[in-house]
Amino acid sequence: MFLSRSLHEPLSATTSSSLSSMASHHHQNGDSTVTTTHSPPSKKLKPTPITPSELLAEFSHHQPSTARINNGSFGSCPASIISAQRNYQLQYLEQPDDFYFNRLKPSILKTRSIIKDLINADHVDEISVVDNATTAAAIVLQHITWSFFESKFDKGDTAVMLHYAYGAVKKSVQAYVTRAGGEVIEVKLPFPLKSNDEIITEFKKALEKGKSNGRKIRLAVIDHVTSMPCVVIPVKELVKICRDEGVDRIFVDAAHAIGCTEVDMQDIGADFYTSNLHKWFFCPPSVAFLYCRKTDKVADLHHPVVSHEYGNGLAVESAWIGTRDYSAQLVLPEVMDFLSRFEGGIDGIRKRNHERVVEMGEMLAEAWGTHLGSPPEMCASLAMVGMPACLGISSDSDALKLRTHLRECFGVEVPIYYRAPNDGEFNPITGYARISHQVYNTTEDYYKFRDAVNKLVNDAFTCTLLSD
Amino acid sequence: MGEPYEDSHLNGDSKKPELSFFITESQLREEFAHHQPLVARINNGSFGSCPASIIAAQRRWQLKFLQQPDDFFVNHLQSHILHSRTLVKHLINADDVDEVSIVDNATTAAAIVLQHVGWAFAKGRFQKGDAVVMLHCAFQAVKKSIEAYVTRAGGSVVVVQLPFPLSSTEEIVVAFRKGLARGKANGRKVRLAIIDHITSMPCVVIPVRELVRICREEGVDQVFVDAAHAIGSVHVDVKDIGADFYVSNLHKWFFCPPSVAFLHCRKLPVMPDLHHPVVSHEYGNGLAIESAWIGTRDYSSQLVVPEVLDFIDRFEGGIEGIRKRNHDAVVQMAEMLAKAWGTNLGSPPDMCPSMAMVGLPASLGISSDADASKLRTHLRDHFGVEVPLHYQAPKENEIEAENGDRDSLITGYARISHQVYNTVDDYHKFRDAINQLVQDMIKVLQRMGCRPINKTHKGHNHEGGVKIDSSKGEKLLVLGD
Repeated sequence: MFLSRSLHEPLSATTSSSLSSMASHHHQNGDSTVTTTHSPPSKKLKPTPITPSELLAEFSHHQPSTARINNGSFGSCPASIISAQRNYQLQYLEQPDDFYFNRLKPSILKTRSIIKDLINADHVDEISVVDNATTAAAIVLQHITWSFFESKFDKGDTAVMLHYAYGAVKKSVQAYVTRAGGEVIEVKLPFPLKSNDEIITEFKKALEKGKSNGRKIRLAVIDHVTSMPCVVIPVKELVKICRDEGVDRIFVDAAHAIGCTEVDMQDIGADFYTSNLHKWFFCPPSVAFLYCRKTDKVADLHHPVVSHEYGNGLAVESAWIGTRDYSAQLVLPEVMDFLSRFEGGIDGIRKRNHERVVEMGEMLAEAWGTHLGSPPEMCASLAMVGMPACLGISSDSDALKLRTHLRECFGVEVPIYYRAPNDGEFNPITGYARISHQVYNTTEDYYKFRDAVNKLVNDAFTCTLLSD
Repeated sequence: MGEPYEDSHLNGDSKKPELSFFITESQLREEFAHHQPLVARINNGSFGSCPASIIAAQRRWQLKFLQQPDDFFVNHLQSHILHSRTLVKHLINADDVDEVSIVDNATTAAAIVLQHVGWAFAKGRFQKGDAVVMLHCAFQAVKKSIEAYVTRAGGSVVVVQLPFPLSSTEEIVVAFRKGLARGKANGRKVRLAIIDHITSMPCVVIPVRELVRICREEGVDQVFVDAAHAIGSVHVDVKDIGADFYVSNLHKWFFCPPSVAFLHCRKLPVMPDLHHPVVSHEYGNGLAIESAWIGTRDYSSQLVVPEVLDFIDRFEGGIEGIRKRNHDAVVQMAEMLAKAWGTNLGSPPDMCPSMAMVGLPASLGISSDADASKLRTHLRDHFGVEVPLHYQAPKENEIEAENGDRDSLITGYARISHQVYNTVDDYHKFRDAINQLVQDMIKVLQRMGCRPINKTHKGHNHEGGVKIDSSKGEKLLVLGD
């Protein structure tokens, strides 16, 4: 399948001959933003503001018939970044030994330095680059396991996490904490939410429980932006409460955060903080950072895939976990160039995404007679929009089936969350769509969704009609 | 499989079309045209290689994900990983596709197996001091993984020394029996033996089937075969080998892009409770399922196994033919080099896979790992030859027997590889580079009026791969820094 040709022509189908010709072609179509493979970087031109047609071209590889309002799940990557990534892949394939000995480490170090500045960390040693937040969680939690085994922790010591913690993180906690003898306390949060206070109250209650009977809370796992349902958590406040209550260590799972909400390590103050760069920061799949605060009591974290770098610090261990394709971790300089082509850079993008997603969320809520799942200030670049009650979403399975139906029959890609109604609720809204807004989205995407749901309602559709 | 290539109708030839099923010379060159042309790339063993048509196939998968990732995740990914696993199952003669997991590389597989051992210690199923046995030349990552998961958990490690150079597989069997016996001394229980199928440095083919049998006889709990190099380079039959765990990288000798490997876990007597260390929502659904989703990532290299089998079919004899020709060629080239340099191979040809260890002239004076590393860099930077070098410390009795017998004082070995893209010129380039270096050294020595030093003397300093005769205080020839 051939991709429609774009200005940069980086994603056309690759043939054998074009692979080798890419090695020798230094410029494609005279485009100076495509990086060269061999020659040292020529004097870089100042990035020009991106035009609407250039923006279209950057995301022209997205399936045109789909209203892609789910940037939150798998993110997105502009064509020029894919092209940059391919250059790195090609460099490796041309001479892998040379790449390994001479280029890989400095490139990863550059990535880590850029991230350090982005998130206001103190020292580049605190920044490790890993595949994704799932991997970061395994790293932090495996450390907890060892602490139990080496009797630094007592059987029954607790870990606290949100009930809305990501599925993989919950399993990781089971695999590394419960299995090692620790106990897990879940913070039940209400949804829909009206304010941060509701979260803070529940959190304090959970900490009390975690400390009961003389137990120690060894770890708090706090989402910065929960996945489903999606809200921005007041992490700074929760971290402070943890410190006040003597929680050993705090791990913030901020998979969505970078590029979507403000991220400042000094301000937030957690011990460990992870975020995916391929979700809202335009990197290819996949790359994330794990920040580990440098303190007096050094946490002895290790990457679970052990290489010859074992013992040289997590950042160095993570930079070599055996022969693999590390190219996604190397394109951050090119991403920074890309961002500078937008007014206000990443902050501008974030702000506009937030405003647009709230606007679209409210448009949908009004069209359907529903409401948002949280106030706008608790939305990042995503929003939870109630779906008409008459659709009869009455289980997780219903939500999934409806999502599939929307994808297959209406060309709308959006995740749907099932929320069990409370006792005595009249005509409850039990389904919420998590809409995302990223730079490539247009109003038409949300109209398409609006119209699809309106059609379903008009056709007296209910989830019971969907087969298993 | 694979379509015949009809080339005669391109120029309007009306004669009966000639079908050239097999890949032609020029097609082969094109497939590897992205390799840096100025480099004699005789190190396929380290990072492998991938034909252009497979890279193209991989990019199609990458594009599919980028176009509509949700649809890819829900409708395509799992079924295609299962397809890859099924193809691998057939390749390696496994009983059940459940036994086959796809992971990034052998390093990851080692972590999976060893983390399992770590849990057994922690949960008290293994006792403090129970042993894990490994070869002294095990891959460094595996050694560190043992440290991280076994030693740290209270297990002890038994290192089996293997001789090198070697004259027969019997030497390995004898050494292994000895090492295993030592491991079991004082009633220690051996919980796991880690055996390479093909050692990395120095590189030889290990008689794994025999060693696995010995392990069973000696009551070793489980056997893990680290066969990183094996698939595409030697015959792999996991049932015949009979290990509990067997891993091999598909990106080394099986033309896959970086990176993809399989980990085979025998179902009998029970399916072991292994887990991928990166835990996702699939936790508890079996290692194969867990490994097929470890968070959002690029899984495309794991999906091109069908295209790779098509590629391999374009070679006469398929993978067996490729293997055999690689072996024959690398032995021939190794013997050519040994003859040109007056050295020898590190093992008999039948212990060489698609790689061979060739002795480097003793006059180069390689006397440490650092020397070998610097010489390797020098060969890359100044001669355009990419080849890993191994430092082999001379045995005590060798140092005593100095006079005349240069062969026994060979301390450096080059590990040359041969893959389908290699040509004779690659090895001639290496031959000439070494001859040049030897000549350079002789010239320098002559200019300085020094006696040529071609032995290892105790008590002398040396820098950068060269001896400094401390009595004269002169630097002879320094390579690198």
